[in-house]
Amino acid sequence: MCKHDKSKKHLLFPLLLLLVFLPSNLSAVSAEEIIQKMDELATFETSYSTGSIQTKDRFGTKTSTFNAWSQGESDSLIEFTSTAERGQKILRTKGSLYLFYPDAEELIRLQGAALRQSMLGSDISYEDMTEEKNTLDNYKAVLEGTEAFKDTMCYVITLTATTRSVAYPVQKLWIDTENYLVWKAQYSTAQGRLLKEMEVLSTLEAGGRVIASETRIEDKMKRDSHTYMRLDSLEVNPVLDKKIFTLENLTW
Amino acid sequence: MVNKHAGISLLLSFFLVYPLSLFASENPVVSMTMLPTLAYRADTDVWMARMPASLSLAIPSANKGNVRGEVVLKASTPVTITSLDDVVHKAYLKAKFPSFRLTMGKTRLSWGDGRVFNAADVLYGSSDTALDFTQTELRNMTTWMVSINYPIDFFSFAEAVMMPSDTTDPTDMTFGGRFYGTIQDIKVEGGYATKRESGSRVHKPYVSFQGSFGPDWYLSSSLTIPVTGDIAQSTLTSWLASAGLFQYVQLENDRSMTLRLEFLLRPFGDWDLASALDNKNCALLLYPELNYAISPSLALSFQSILSPLDLSSKSTIGFSWNVFEGFSVLGYGSVTSGEAGDVFSWNAADSFSLSVGTSWVF
Repeated sequence: MCKHDKSKKHLLFPLLLLLVFLPSNLSAVSAEEIIQKMDELATFETSYSTGSIQTKDRFGTKTSTFNAWSQGESDSLIEFTSTAERGQKILRTKGSLYLFYPDAEELIRLQGAALRQSMLGSDISYEDMTEEKNTLDNYKAVLEGTEAFKDTMCYVITLTATTRSVAYPVQKLWIDTENYLVWKAQYSTAQGRLLKEMEVLSTLEAGGRVIASETRIEDKMKRDSHTYMRLDSLEVNPVLDKKIFTLENLTW
Repeated sequence: MVNKHAGISLLLSFFLVYPLSLFASENPVVSMTMLPTLAYRADTDVWMARMPASLSLAIPSANKGNVRGEVVLKASTPVTITSLDDVVHKAYLKAKFPSFRLTMGKTRLSWGDGRVFNAADVLYGSSDTALDFTQTELRNMTTWMVSINYPIDFFSFAEAVMMPSDTTDPTDMTFGGRFYGTIQDIKVEGGYATKRESGSRVHKPYVSFQGSFGPDWYLSSSLTIPVTGDIAQSTLTSWLASAGLFQYVQLENDRSMTLRLEFLLRPFGDWDLASALDNKNCALLLYPELNYAISPSLALSFQSILSPLDLSSKSTIGFSWNVFEGFSVLGYGSVTSGEAGDVFSWNAADSFSLSVGTSWVF
């Protein structure tokens, strides 16, 4: 009896511990961990994609198509394939952004505020398009709670910039609690004025992850202006030429 | 009979080969700009109405493989075409070898930085003021050349160029080379060209830097060293420096503004306010440029070349409205101010002009 009681006590103690700590463990996922996971899942060792940027306003739709290559967190190359911009390329590597205009055979290096210029008249800046995926280097993250978005449970996280070298001082993100996809994002000024809102319209699965295949970016400062980004194809971890993120390839 | 067969064979060959050749290239790109213009010439007190139009047809090769190329044909009115070379704006091939890249044909090399003034542009020269601000590309001269680009590492390279003589005289050939790289956070470029200018050979070394301290900045300097005459004096007089600042400003309601200020300095040029200046030896010229984007598709612009020594200028205000995909409505108003003998003068060609037109790329 005594022995039996003792074994019961042994069982009871871990059970109590589990009951005490289980709820706190569930909510103990920190904002930093969520953002790290989000970055991790949005970053491929290498990738190759084709897609389009569509800008819609009251005069109609303007479409630019592109091919894009990426490697790790900070290397990316975009080549435009649509008629008006054909051959224009953007190369982003750690700390530098280069543009190549084939008509003038001109290689331009952009730094500073010039990176915030609108790309091809869209609601997307050069910085947006080739943003380095190391969010916590530039932002402090706070978990506001959880919220359902389109029947999907999401973490709601507010990012506040810790440096001045970012496009948006404040971002509010709705991140899927299961696959860490950012379903919705609001980009604001430091004073809290909403500038842009992004929403994922459709997704695809690649490399065992869920990726946004179509997103709508709405410029809150303009009436009737939307930008749609579509991924037509995505190849995960292809073998890329080691010289792809170089000036040699940019000017080719 | 033989001739008839030969003709049919030729025709058949053409129809067989022509579609194949089309498949080997990307779709051609056509650009056309038409700018009906009303201009006033003060020295003759004459108003003129004309419709300058430019057309370009670009046929690029397929975007794959180790050899690529492009042919771009360009024509504009009222320019008179005297040879095929006037129409062939670009016709070149690029071949990628394991350790270097060869470019051969008619194209352009852009050395240094600067939209209007670029002292590092020792190949074509970017210091003159005969510019048309209604054009998208202000400096777009192309020449026949053979060029080799040798990558040193991922972000630096060396480049060598040879441009053949226009006169068939081998001593008129142009040779040059440059290094392009970054040191810390600054782009560093240095190079040299030797060519024939005004009947005698000159040597043109240059350096160029680019960086950012918030606004992006660029700075270039070059010399033109002759081989005959008073070499020291000519070299000093030829010293050319250019610099620029570029800033992007985000405004309320997602409007934006870009500001550019460039200057061209000839330290040993003509600083004498009393003398008649000309733009080839004027000591100081400024180029302010302002672009105000009301929306991503509608922008206003102001561009001016200003001679601060005689307070003469050539200025253009404009608008560009990208209405539909590839289609824009453009408008420009230009005015020249200054007295006779100044770098710019009201009593010269097109004292005032007004243009409204369209451009289309398809």
